[in-house]
Amino acid sequence: MVDIEELKKQFLDAEFDSKNFLLDAENLLVVAKTSGETRAQFIDAEHADFQATPAFLCSLASGRHLPIDFPALGGIPMDGGKAVECFAPIRAGQPITGKSHLHDIYDKQGRSGRMIFIVVRMEIVDTEDKLLAISDSRLVIREKPAA
Amino acid sequence: MSIENILDVEFGTELPVFEPDTTLANVGAFARAVGWGGPRFESHEGAQKEGFPGALVPGIMGMGFLVSAIHRWAPTGTVEHIDGVFRAPMIADTPAIISAVVTDIDEDEGLVELDMTVKNTKDETRVFGTARLRLPKA
Repeated sequence: MVDIEELKKQFLDAEFDSKNFLLDAENLLVVAKTSGETRAQFIDAEHADFQATPAFLCSLASGRHLPIDFPALGGIPMDGGKAVECFAPIRAGQPITGKSHLHDIYDKQGRSGRMIFIVVRMEIVDTEDKLLAISDSRLVIREKPAA
Repeated sequence: MSIENILDVEFGTELPVFEPDTTLANVGAFARAVGWGGPRFESHEGAQKEGFPGALVPGIMGMGFLVSAIHRWAPTGTVEHIDGVFRAPMIADTPAIISAVVTDIDEDEGLVELDMTVKNTKDETRVFGTARLRLPKA
């Protein structure tokens, strides 16, 4: 059985991925409109305050989910949920960087065994390193029982 | 009733139910726009080959539905934080029913907390979560 405290000591708060983004206005519009958005600053690219929706920001956290040396826990990580906290608007064409680290690791005992939850946090910053948003992805792994 | 400022909000208010477009064409367009195009979100047959009941609605699209429901209710508000738990898959071409209730109000800060759910027509929860909304002070 994996020692959660040991995993936390080894992996929490260490940046393991950094990726640059340049958001495309057309993609921002499609995401907003297909989500049923009605606010002009999300569905009108000519609006002075045109910006990405929170749901779009969550999509930036796809890709490499865990540090390359993170141990295999037996199961395929499932997407257990996401959260986003917005501090400033993120615009189309604005260069941004997503820096990822593991924010939390915890477990829950279920009927069919232990589930391990890993919170991967992406901090989205601008070229001045100003924090624009935080996007959390919760990965859920069903631990493989010991043979 | 459309909400304009924090004094318009009452504790326990239920937001108007919102039924978003979950058609396969709409879901596929969302998936392609976030770079997730492919059979899982664009084809019922393709998703079934992967072991799913049908083409999935991305969980983050469910979060988009939640934010849209908030903006329809409070056009002057800004969603500062939203947290969604993906409890079970949402399937394209099946209805999704968005509901929300006000669980806390901070009039001094202009903040509203909401509990939100996405359910199917069998009243089964697909996504649930919370949101924090900032509204103009009166």
